[in-house]
Amino acid sequence: AKATGRRSKPSKPESFWDDEEADVEVDENTVEPIDQDEIFDLIRHISDPEHPNSLEELRVVSAPQISVSENRVIVEFTPTVPHCGMSTLIGLSIRVRLMQSLPPRFKVDIFVKPGSHQSEHAVNKQLNDKERVAAALENPALVDTVEKCLEKAESWGA
Amino acid sequence: MTRFKIAKVAELQGHDERAWNIAWNPAKPLLASCSADKTVRLYHYDHATDSPDLRFTHNTTISTGHTKTVRAVAWSPSGLSLATASFDANVGIWEQEGGDEGEGPNAGEWECSSLLEGHETECKSVAYSSSGTLLASCSRDKTVWVWEVQPDVDFECLGVLMEHTQDVKCVAWHPHEEILASASYDDTIRLYIDDPSDDWFCFATLKGHESTVWCVSWSPDGRYLASSSDDKTVRIWKRVKEHSWESVLVLTGHERSVYSISWGVGKSNDDASLGWLASASGDGQVMVWELTKPSDSDTAPMSSTPPGHSIIARLEAAHGVYDVNAVAWCPRQGYENILATAGDDCSVRVWKVIPE
Repeated sequence: AKATGRRSKPSKPESFWDDEEADVEVDENTVEPIDQDEIFDLIRHISDPEHPNSLEELRVVSAPQISVSENRVIVEFTPTVPHCGMSTLIGLSIRVRLMQSLPPRFKVDIFVKPGSHQSEHAVNKQLNDKERVAAALENPALVDTVEKCLEKAESWGA
Repeated sequence: MTRFKIAKVAELQGHDERAWNIAWNPAKPLLASCSADKTVRLYHYDHATDSPDLRFTHNTTISTGHTKTVRAVAWSPSGLSLATASFDANVGIWEQEGGDEGEGPNAGEWECSSLLEGHETECKSVAYSSSGTLLASCSRDKTVWVWEVQPDVDFECLGVLMEHTQDVKCVAWHPHEEILASASYDDTIRLYIDDPSDDWFCFATLKGHESTVWCVSWSPDGRYLASSSDDKTVRIWKRVKEHSWESVLVLTGHERSVYSISWGVGKSNDDASLGWLASASGDGQVMVWELTKPSDSDTAPMSSTPPGHSIIARLEAAHGVYDVNAVAWCPRQGYENILATAGDDCSVRVWKVIPE
């Protein structure tokens, strides 16, 4: 999916979060196609909170696990182990990354891969409760951790 | 059947972050809104000369002092006190200096007269009982607190109800009895009353929703309770015995979580009307249903026959591409078709539901 008119630079997906491109979100009525590869590029370099590796390297996220329709993005991710205690944090990092990068018309739903986590239902529910997410993002310690996970994703390709 | 449309009356900008909730003052022409920006904004409204339309003007902004999001606002029935529920775990009670004497929009500053501390985590909703003598609050700490409103804005905790197994999202009082409803992330609704010789207790658990229950709202006549959920539905529960409520109707049409509902008396010509129920959703839509008395309402008022229902108005993209977090009917006489909404676009919007 190539960008249309409103973006001045060649359309790299990373440009979604360049500061000078902040006006990307202004016109909410113009529908700009975004595909699963662009979404994947936004989240593949997020670090795992417990490893030096990226979510892509750990096979937590992959392009086929992302689906995009006109106004909805569904991201499925695979926790490294079924009892992974960091799953909600990983999911939250993915959510924050997409919230900061995508135009606001996108409704984002995040789920763990079915059968991949022993608390699948609880993790899914928490990640998709906007009030719980909003409250979590007012917790400075949690925000700090999320920002660390996002550092590489945000600097990559810049 | 008359078809209605939802027409915009005003768009109120000013919050710097997501607007979470709105509350109409029941006695005065004032609308309060609250936001993740930690403030409460008050708007005055009146009729512009030579125009039937309402005109809204910003009255004041209360910098609440809450250290986190102000999630909900609620007026006392007298309209003299405003309660705020914050993610900082506290409930604030706000009163205007000289507010019980003078009229006029600029009578005095709004000051925090009480700060109710007790919840351990985010406070999500607050509500005054119909008499104004009780206040309820709820939190992610899984508890519902019932407070007695004593003279001189003194508050005494009458009970801490620990029935829910998860986050409690909303509390709402019955329109004329001292019955409290709470809605939770545990997918249930609980109903509570006071035992005069003992404590407040839960007398009913309403199960049926398949995910988080975001909001509860009583019918104006008090015979029904509506609930809205992350399962995208609105359910109607009917009182079938003194202390027994049954799910009698499921309303569908929303495509994402239904964050808020409000059941007002409406402006219907139908004598059988039970009022208008408005819903607001993460899908951006606002819908209005008219509910009507079932045919056996005179002969068997407590039967489990569901009320009649029809969608009378529907508005897509009420806040553009953004989620609609709250909806509320104006409770004042003459304004029964006026509705306010709060959205993720930081704006508050006012609507009128009028015949098409």
